[in-house]
Amino acid sequence: MAEFIRFDRITKFYGPLCVVENLDLGIGKGEFVSLLGPSGSGKTTLLMMLAGFEQPTAGEILLDGTSINAVPTYKRDMGVVFQSYALFPHMSVGDNIAFPLQMRGIGKAGIDERVKRALDMVQLSTLSDRRPSQLSGGQQQRVALARALVFEPRVVLMDEPLGALDKQLREQMQLDIRDLHRRLGLTIVFVTHDQSEALTMSDRVAVFNKGKIEQIGTPRQVYDEPATRFVAEFIGETNLVEGVVETVQGAEATVRLPSGAQIVSAVSGSIASGQSVFLSIRPERVDLSETRSEGRNVLETEVTDSVYQGDHLRVQLHNATHPLIAKLGRRSREFPPGTKVFAAFSAGDCRVIAP
Amino acid sequence: MSAASSRTRRSLLLLAPLLFFLIGFFVWPLFSMMSQSVSDPAVLRLLPRSAEVLADWDRNSPPTIPMQTALMKDLKAVNDDQALGDMVRRLNSARSGFRTLMGKTTSALKETANPPVDLVSIDKRWEKPEFWLAIADALSPYTDRNLLAAVDLGRNAAGDIEHLPPDQSVNGVILMRTFWIAALVTFACVCIGFPYAIIAASLDGWKRDLMLGAVLLPLWTSLLVRTAAWFILLQEQGLINDLLRAIGLIDAPLALIFNRTGVIIAMTHVLLPFMVLPIYSVLITIPKNLMPAAASLGAHPLRAFLRVLLPLSLRGVASGALLVFISAIGYYITPALIGGPSDQMISSIIAFYATGSANWGMAGALGVVLLVATLLLYSVYARLSSDEVGGR
Amino acid sequence: MPMKVAKATFAMLTIIFLVAPLIAILPLAFTSSVILTYPIPSWSLRWFEELFFADAWRRAIFNSLIIGTGTTLLATALGTAASLGLRNRLLFFRGSMRTLFLLPMVVPAVVLGVGMQVLLAGFGLTNSYIGVIIAHTVVAVPFVVVSVTGALAGIDERVELAAQSLGASPATVFRRITLPLAMPGVLSGAVLAFATSLDEVVLTLFVAGPNQRTLARQMFSSIRENISPAIAAAAFLFIAGTVLIGLVVVVSRSIMAERR
Repeated sequence: MAEFIRFDRITKFYGPLCVVENLDLGIGKGEFVSLLGPSGSGKTTLLMMLAGFEQPTAGEILLDGTSINAVPTYKRDMGVVFQSYALFPHMSVGDNIAFPLQMRGIGKAGIDERVKRALDMVQLSTLSDRRPSQLSGGQQQRVALARALVFEPRVVLMDEPLGALDKQLREQMQLDIRDLHRRLGLTIVFVTHDQSEALTMSDRVAVFNKGKIEQIGTPRQVYDEPATRFVAEFIGETNLVEGVVETVQGAEATVRLPSGAQIVSAVSGSIASGQSVFLSIRPERVDLSETRSEGRNVLETEVTDSVYQGDHLRVQLHNATHPLIAKLGRRSREFPPGTKVFAAFSAGDCRVIAP
Repeated sequence: MSAASSRTRRSLLLLAPLLFFLIGFFVWPLFSMMSQSVSDPAVLRLLPRSAEVLADWDRNSPPTIPMQTALMKDLKAVNDDQALGDMVRRLNSARSGFRTLMGKTTSALKETANPPVDLVSIDKRWEKPEFWLAIADALSPYTDRNLLAAVDLGRNAAGDIEHLPPDQSVNGVILMRTFWIAALVTFACVCIGFPYAIIAASLDGWKRDLMLGAVLLPLWTSLLVRTAAWFILLQEQGLINDLLRAIGLIDAPLALIFNRTGVIIAMTHVLLPFMVLPIYSVLITIPKNLMPAAASLGAHPLRAFLRVLLPLSLRGVASGALLVFISAIGYYITPALIGGPSDQMISSIIAFYATGSANWGMAGALGVVLLVATLLLYSVYARLSSDEVGGR
Repeated sequence: MPMKVAKATFAMLTIIFLVAPLIAILPLAFTSSVILTYPIPSWSLRWFEELFFADAWRRAIFNSLIIGTGTTLLATALGTAASLGLRNRLLFFRGSMRTLFLLPMVVPAVVLGVGMQVLLAGFGLTNSYIGVIIAHTVVAVPFVVVSVTGALAGIDERVELAAQSLGASPATVFRRITLPLAMPGVLSGAVLAFATSLDEVVLTLFVAGPNQRTLARQMFSSIRENISPAIAAAAFLFIAGTVLIGLVVVVSRSIMAERR
């Protein structure tokens, strides 16, 4: 995929506070990239710099090979969707959507035609004359989306656009936006702190922490192969177990736990034997049984609590040195507290992470 | 970064007109009022030649011939008897004996047939440096006389600050009266405004709107209209006296206007909104379930009020009271129209000095006192209301 | 229950105290008598005639309109520009400037009047319309600043950012977004400035000459010297005007609220 947007060693200070530190990121044309991270991790600042609302303290932003640092916002041709929608309260829905077209000097007939098409696209054709304040949150969101797309911007930027919607509407909008992305071939940069949203929608996810990107990859990569402890903990739920590497063979390593158990685990990146590491084991990849299974990693544990949560059974376990959580399928049998069980998981379902 | 600096330039450009306007027509007038209160060029204007010569004098050696000649020339040139009288009065209060000395000197100088050679030949007292010292001091264009007089102080012959004699101590009485009337009005406003705000905040719907509307309507109405209305109500044949007589409470009309009662009633009416609104705005931020919560915890309603609502609303009461007090001490129109001679507040006296007797020095000095009092109270008020914002 | 009755009684009495004086003066505008007392012998419009045709009153109304209009224009222009400038949070002394802009509301009118007379006399501006307009503008400008900064603070800055991102240059953003959204604040600021000028007496006493006698000034001296029902007629006009102004402010506020 051809690279379209490039952040080249971007640094941003607010006074003495460094919010983005020496950051590199490339985004391909037609790609949907999510910037995911907790609040204050620099993801929104990066988006604001791309939109031109903020200037980087150092570094360069390139669009299609040319620097846009000196280009003012209104000449960047990027559609921005804000969390608060930022609709013009004194204009009707139709005028809101017509606004970017008027700015580009398009004739009245052309504007009417394209506004109508944009409203159709977000299924709001009947509401053209309403004021934004007369619309529901979801409808306002659709207007904001139509307004950001109607002038066919080169890039669409979205800053937590679904944050103010209730859960059901949010999930519907996630699918709608993903659908629009595929149909129109848009390049979308999407900021969110909601990991499931990022996993649902994106081609790639960039996980932000303290002004840096911890990991960038496909949703499957960041979930299954977390590169750092932060990524493993931030995306989904995980068991982190301390251990020491004994041997490394290709993509697998043997790790000894404090309890003495030996675990074989997948490895990415450079890990040396003798190193202290964490093992990340996703709870839903752990199986429980009363007999020791062969060919997999096995830990001897005792059930301390088990909670039925509708779609799954959540079991808290404890072995000699550390707690462990397992999520079992709905059809799994109950494990009363005190039951001694073997927790089993295969080498591919756990991951060695350098501390 | 050029975007940020051009934004700053644009902001400054937008701010500049009002900034210069207010510096020119608000700050400068206040300063010129202050400088009026300390400036005193009357003597300097009469004795310009002496001022030049006296500037080189060492202030204790006997007077030189040029000093005497200069003063003689100045005195001969004076053709404004009133200004001369003022100067003599002033010199005499600094150094007794000046009145006779000056009388003798000016009549001697008028003698054209046999002009005196120097001042000492007219009167031996001109040899004494003390008299010249008094002149030298009076020549200074600055004085603290007005500022001291504004708080009933003055300098005695030795230059020490002391209380003025009681027959000259009118300003202290007026200042005390101003603060007393303002305090009474503030007290009346708290007594009416606090319960009123509590009741308004506890209601909703049209009842609350009615109570707030009743506060806002007078606030938006012209001050003169309100004062005229009270004039009509309070006068001898006014509605209040008619009403009281009709229900048989009184036989002869009560004196309600041109006295303290009328001033307090009218000022309370004018300033009550400034008490109600700050208290109300604090009260509506207090969650409505606090009082029931206190009751459920076993607090008697009165106790619940004292322990819960009162402490929480105290800040509103304090800022309302300050606002009323600040406005009250500067009031002019209401006391001027509704009050009698013994109800005039400091503003009326300032206006009298300025427009009535053209004594700009005293008007300025009393103005400084009022301005300082107002600004001090306002800074307390500003602190209080900015805490309010920060505290939330 | 007795508590409730006591509360209701207290509220009613206070409402009467607040509103009754304003209502009591109204019928007297239509009295045929020359004295301002009840009962009214018979109804007549003679005092409105006096107001509009007697030379002193007619001139006063005319002067109030001239000075009020001048003050409104000057105060609104200065106050709106300054409020826009105050939006910039990066500015040094932003807080002190805001305080300075609001201070004329606090300083007692007589104090300002003394200083103003001294200063304007120096410029030869006493006894002139421009002098009175300047004096009124000083005390009217805080109301414009409060009103316009309030309206500007209510604008979501992201709305302006959005306009930029949609292709609007800073000038276009100001013209199409900021100004229309601040307009209700500017208008109510202008109304308040006009009302302030109309009601201003103390500064007028100090700065204006006999030729700039305003309606408020004329009412002041007529209460003081020879009170007549013309005062009640003027008060009637004032109160009617107040209700109108109140309606304008309420309506523009509700328009602003609707846009949030």
